[in-house]
Amino acid sequence: MKARDILSYSFSAIRLRKLRAGLTTLGVVIGIAAIVALLSISQGLQATITSQLERGFATDTLIVTAGSGSFGMGGGFGGGGDSGFKLLVSDTQIINNLPNVDTSVAIVEKLVNVTIGSTNRISTVVGVNFTEYYNIYSDTFKADTGTIPLNPENDSIAVVGRRVIDPRLNGTVIADVNDPIDIIWINATARPPTTITLHRNITAILKQIGSFGVGGPSDSNVYIPITQAQTLFNTNESDMIIVKLKSSDQTVIDNATKAIKDAFSGEVSVISATAILGIISSIFSIIELFLGGIAAISLIVAGVGIMNIMIVSLMERTREIGILKALGTKGRTVLLIFLCEAVIIGLMGGTIGVALGWVLANIVAVVFRGGGVFMGNQANAGTGGMTITPILTPPVFLGAVAFGVGVSVVFALYPAWRASKLRPVDALRYE
Amino acid sequence: MTPIVEAVNLKKTYMLGKVPVEALRGVNLKVESGDFLAILGPSGSGKSTLLNLIGALDKPTEGKMMIEGVDISTLNDNQLTDLRRRVGFVFQFFNLIPRFSAKENVELSLSIADMSRSDRKKRAESLLETVGLKERMNHKPAELSGGEQQRVAIARALANNPRFLLMDEPTGNIDSKTANEILRLIKGLNEEKGVTAIMVTHDQRLATQSKKTVLMLDGLIVQETVN
Repeated sequence: MKARDILSYSFSAIRLRKLRAGLTTLGVVIGIAAIVALLSISQGLQATITSQLERGFATDTLIVTAGSGSFGMGGGFGGGGDSGFKLLVSDTQIINNLPNVDTSVAIVEKLVNVTIGSTNRISTVVGVNFTEYYNIYSDTFKADTGTIPLNPENDSIAVVGRRVIDPRLNGTVIADVNDPIDIIWINATARPPTTITLHRNITAILKQIGSFGVGGPSDSNVYIPITQAQTLFNTNESDMIIVKLKSSDQTVIDNATKAIKDAFSGEVSVISATAILGIISSIFSIIELFLGGIAAISLIVAGVGIMNIMIVSLMERTREIGILKALGTKGRTVLLIFLCEAVIIGLMGGTIGVALGWVLANIVAVVFRGGGVFMGNQANAGTGGMTITPILTPPVFLGAVAFGVGVSVVFALYPAWRASKLRPVDALRYE
Repeated sequence: MTPIVEAVNLKKTYMLGKVPVEALRGVNLKVESGDFLAILGPSGSGKSTLLNLIGALDKPTEGKMMIEGVDISTLNDNQLTDLRRRVGFVFQFFNLIPRFSAKENVELSLSIADMSRSDRKKRAESLLETVGLKERMNHKPAELSGGEQQRVAIARALANNPRFLLMDEPTGNIDSKTANEILRLIKGLNEEKGVTAIMVTHDQRLATQSKKTVLMLDGLIVQETVN
């Protein structure tokens, strides 16, 4: 039989049992839709997180923290090292003298109470050298209103992120430039515990960044000159030092990382943005694999369904197979007819599944985004104003369809093989 | 000339559960080109078994089944399949594919033999005209009477210009009036177009209309009559 004839024969067999074929296809549709939805959402999420990290966190920067552990492997981030080693604000001088280093900036940060008018919230106050910080994060440490003073060491000012004055990012602004802001720090280790209040005026509001990053500017932080932070917290210790390199080449990153570690006798951890992105992408591949695996289980269930249907169909059509064979159809052709039915089911299920999965992913993305429809602003608050745009890449699209077809064919192999092996005498006698 | 069909000491034993059943116990038979042979016998006499062997649907336990001089025991599955394409089967229960129209059923047989679509259409139409179903070729089997269905089956059997027609109780499932018509059609094909025909029946009256009748009893041919 010619390929086209096999195809149309298989089609006619499927058409005969529309409901059954439809339900079988539905199994594949659900499996594929689940895979596509989960993968496109997690890829979208990864893209969102990666792009936010890239923004909050330039690729030519390194982050130096105390402690010899490395990120993601136990030592932790900024958590004091095993040996009690602490980074000092003045360590930037050591780092600045190393090769490949353009500049560096020390960060002193603490959680404080911030009072604006009658609103009192907990916020992170970050002490930095505004000039250096701007050099490194010129894209994000940028005023939306007001101006960021470059040498404000003695001024009573504060630069705030967008969420500090617009906590829900919905335009309900609680303060503007020149409004007073109180930074209240409770020194719980002093005896008796003391409360220090800094009265400041907002001198600049950063434009909305919408991202989170380590070291980079954030929408919810309050920035004050580092000297004032040191005085306020009475410390010379730096929580982290951000190093800007002369280039983002991997060799430059590697060399500088080593040089910095050596300069502090291995008591510091040096993380590069690329390394973090690498870790995040590897975490995401694990998550994708996991989610994909769960979805694949449903597809395997669908496959068992296909096999079941095929065997039932084989029994029902035993006589038909006998006729085909008596008319001179080769066993191989009978096998192909059955496999072709599976391919048709897999192809339809796969295609519909991809489309459905894509729709589902977008619905989930809209729900997640809040969009003021389902959860209102709380969703926004919860997700940090992050938006997910599901991503459907051609490999996922084609892979999903191919997987649907593959599962159908694999599970149809046994019934098809059995059909091809039927002896015509027995098949014709079958009632 | 080599006979089209030649059975030499043909034996076939089935296992019915654990009990061996000797369906054929040494049959010798020759069918020449142009013959119209009727195999007559009560049920259980082994006539259907013999027919299955002639049609290469089954292999003998012992002895030789020669189709056009070739022993079917020596053929593999693919060769048997090729052989079946040269045999036109007509079954008692018609065995048409219910979802296909009369024409599509005939075309199916042609498509199995890899004939092109356009040729198939013409050939199917002319075959259905030969069996007198020109007006009903787009009807499905369920919309046709028993006699009409059997005509479709005969048209299908003739589709690939078979060496011979093999009919298992072709009139067994239709009323006697229609049965006569079907038999007339087969006779006509045999006499006018030279189609070799082998028919199994248990109807004495029909059997006598053939050129030659063999009577089977308990797996043996017990009598041969030339009509």
